[in-house]
Amino acid sequence: MNEKPLNLPAYFLADLPAGATLTAGLITDACLTLKRNRARYLEGRTTENLIQRLDGIGRDWLEADYPFRRHALEAGPAATGFSAAVLTAGLDSFFRQLTAENLEELLRQELGHPLRLDDFHAAEHERGTNRVALARGPDLLAHIAPGNIQIAVMLNMVLGLLTRAAQFVKCASGHAFLPRLFAHSLYEEDAKLGACLEVAEWPGGTESLEAALFAQADCVTATGSDETLAAIRKALPGHARLAGYGTRVSFGFVAKEALDGRHPETIAARAALDVAAWNQLGCLSPHVIYVEEGGRIGAEDFAGLLAGELEALERTHPRGQLAAREAAGIASRRAIYEVRAAHSPETKMWASTESTAWTVVMEREARFQVSCLNRFVYVKAVHDADEALRGAEPVREHISTVGLAAGGTRTGELARQFARWGARRICPLGEMQKPPLGWRHDGRPALGDLLTWSEWEK
Amino acid sequence: MSLTSFDGFVAELRAFMTRSQEHEFPKAELDGEFNRLAAALFALQREAVPVYGEFCGKRKVTPVTDWREIPALPTAAFKEYEVTSLPAGERTHVFHSSGTTQHRPSRHFHNGLSLEIYEESLKPWFWRHFLPGGAEIGSGGDGKNRTYGTNRTDHASGKPQSPISNLQVIVLTPAPVEAPHSSLAHMFGAVSAEFGGAVFTGRVNGEGAWTLDLEQTMSALREAQSGGQPVALLGTALAFVDLLEHCRDGRTAFRLAAGSRALETGGYKGRRRALPRVELRRMMTRWLGLAESHILGEYGMSELSSQAYDRVIGEEDGGFRFPPWARARIVSPETGREAGEGETGLVQVVDLANVRSALAVQTEDLAVRGGEGFELKGRAAGAAARGCSLLLEESGSGEWRVGSGEWQFQEL
Repeated sequence: MNEKPLNLPAYFLADLPAGATLTAGLITDACLTLKRNRARYLEGRTTENLIQRLDGIGRDWLEADYPFRRHALEAGPAATGFSAAVLTAGLDSFFRQLTAENLEELLRQELGHPLRLDDFHAAEHERGTNRVALARGPDLLAHIAPGNIQIAVMLNMVLGLLTRAAQFVKCASGHAFLPRLFAHSLYEEDAKLGACLEVAEWPGGTESLEAALFAQADCVTATGSDETLAAIRKALPGHARLAGYGTRVSFGFVAKEALDGRHPETIAARAALDVAAWNQLGCLSPHVIYVEEGGRIGAEDFAGLLAGELEALERTHPRGQLAAREAAGIASRRAIYEVRAAHSPETKMWASTESTAWTVVMEREARFQVSCLNRFVYVKAVHDADEALRGAEPVREHISTVGLAAGGTRTGELARQFARWGARRICPLGEMQKPPLGWRHDGRPALGDLLTWSEWEK
Repeated sequence: MSLTSFDGFVAELRAFMTRSQEHEFPKAELDGEFNRLAAALFALQREAVPVYGEFCGKRKVTPVTDWREIPALPTAAFKEYEVTSLPAGERTHVFHSSGTTQHRPSRHFHNGLSLEIYEESLKPWFWRHFLPGGAEIGSGGDGKNRTYGTNRTDHASGKPQSPISNLQVIVLTPAPVEAPHSSLAHMFGAVSAEFGGAVFTGRVNGEGAWTLDLEQTMSALREAQSGGQPVALLGTALAFVDLLEHCRDGRTAFRLAAGSRALETGGYKGRRRALPRVELRRMMTRWLGLAESHILGEYGMSELSSQAYDRVIGEEDGGFRFPPWARARIVSPETGREAGEGETGLVQVVDLANVRSALAVQTEDLAVRGGEGFELKGRAAGAAARGCSLLLEESGSGEWRVGSGEWQFQEL
């Protein structure tokens, strides 16, 4: 197809031509407009209407010729660094979740009744009592989006919309591409909804702009390093609520029985999908895959299989170009493991040739190792889950997801063990970067942090 | 002398170092000689430095004919292993990279002879860049006046500058006896010993970190200024920042005498706030009254025995250049091959003066080649990834001594 590139109209601050400077005054004006528009166009909407809109957008984004999708895949590689195949996989897994059914399920899970944002209702277990409640969202919800994967903030935008909040999405410099397209697609679907959204980008920590935003917002979600969150907490006025998502890392665990089957390469292929999704840059991406020894194949063979799968994925879902600084980070890391591997059989390394596309380092040492990411993964041999958890102890507070491959009754036992230890989310290996729409991000309720309840005892 | 022993190699290296400074070598001859010596030293080290031998064995590199074929050992290997051919009993000196107590430092071992080579390598290249016109230098240890630097007319400008007498040397690092494991302090000690009257205003605090005695530094500067005596300042970029911020906060601008000069070196590793190099130099001009052309940048590290300089004092910045007995390559991080023109890559150095360790070193510094030299472009990304990840410095690199213009921080 040879159609014209998408020309995005200038609806949002992020649409301003390069070189236009943002000022605190512009931010304040934008916030005031958002609040006015919310009162006019959003506050009185029904949940049903919002779900319908979101469901429609979810469907549209999955259509191959939807202009916003096409633009995301055509211009995305240059704008985000992800290859079109990686973007496709990431967008598909997000928008497949965005269905009326899932949205309703999410509301039921979070509110006890799907219509409690519309009116007073009793939750299931409160039927027959005199208690009913309704929930209200914030007036103006600000999102401080992370710089690693842009799609993360889009889920927050969906949640904010359900609560009827006007939303200001602040992206890291150069990381507004997908949120901006998503906002434009909402605008096109329903211009009045779009008028309750703002998207802007500036370097994190720009005090004057952030002060202007924080003065207007009554709730802020922020994803970033613990230091960034602390700085935001300090900068927020007392009345504003913060839902902060701090530094998180994840790992995979392959139990020995999972490798007993005839096709251990299928397990390796699932691990490879988790490493390749969003090029491993997300908080839910594995840094380490722990492999329990004692199965039909051991950690070293598994690492070899994983390397093969990553090589195969590089052909179908290439990682894409990296900045010299990032590539040099990988090259430097590889160099030291090359020295170690030459010195001792306890370390082995598999790596793409002529590029930094993927790297697998196998170590017989359980200590959790933070990866330099962009498809650089550690495989660590352990005797059992206890040893893996002892190895991960230093990052226990920071663990988000455990991708688990096990069999039979052990799956449940291991899931319980990881959960009690502190993992916020346990999912099958291969699904780590595909959290369900209603997932409790970092162990927090999906909507709870945004809402204020009103109770009525009749 | 035969090239089949380290002592034999040292004799040939010394001859090469002398000749390469005295003569205008035809390029082909220089290349041939460098290759011959590099191949010989490589063959010796592959046998005698176990960790390097294993590394080369794994890469299946057998004798080389071109210095570019020599496998470069990452600086991080100097932290984890003893990269040396010296048995424990023969090591008389060890240099450590700077770093915090949590991190293992790099270690570079020396014996008497290799330390001599270190000094013989560092001095002439330093003088050539720092005092190109030569200088009458006040009493050295033996009480005699001597002339240093070169009055040759074969360097780029062709015109020797007038000799400077009475340079007051102020070194912003601790004296070598205070910091015996710092190759930088050792180097500053070695060059300033030739001047006489040099003051060291750096101190070592209880945690082993370096601080600057601002009071002593300021009073030495004031004294030199009022006596009209030109000053030579030697220090890390960090120490200069401390000094310059002190000057700025107290609104004290010096107008140092003509001929005053400075050497700055070192990054800001571990510091949250870093000053871009351009800004550092601008402040040196503003608060010390130094001409831009009189500020020399040095690139060196504890893992190497030779240093690169970015200009000859009084001339234009020409990019960092090593002496004829050390060569840098800029390699693509993706392919490991020589980076293209204008392409940012990692700095690899083959240093013939690294006699008893590994001659080829892979740094984590980024640079772009420009003409004969290279320009630094920051460092390889550490473990801290974009957005959300933990800082965990496991395979950090060696000491880094140059203030680069491009420091990027985690940004959200």
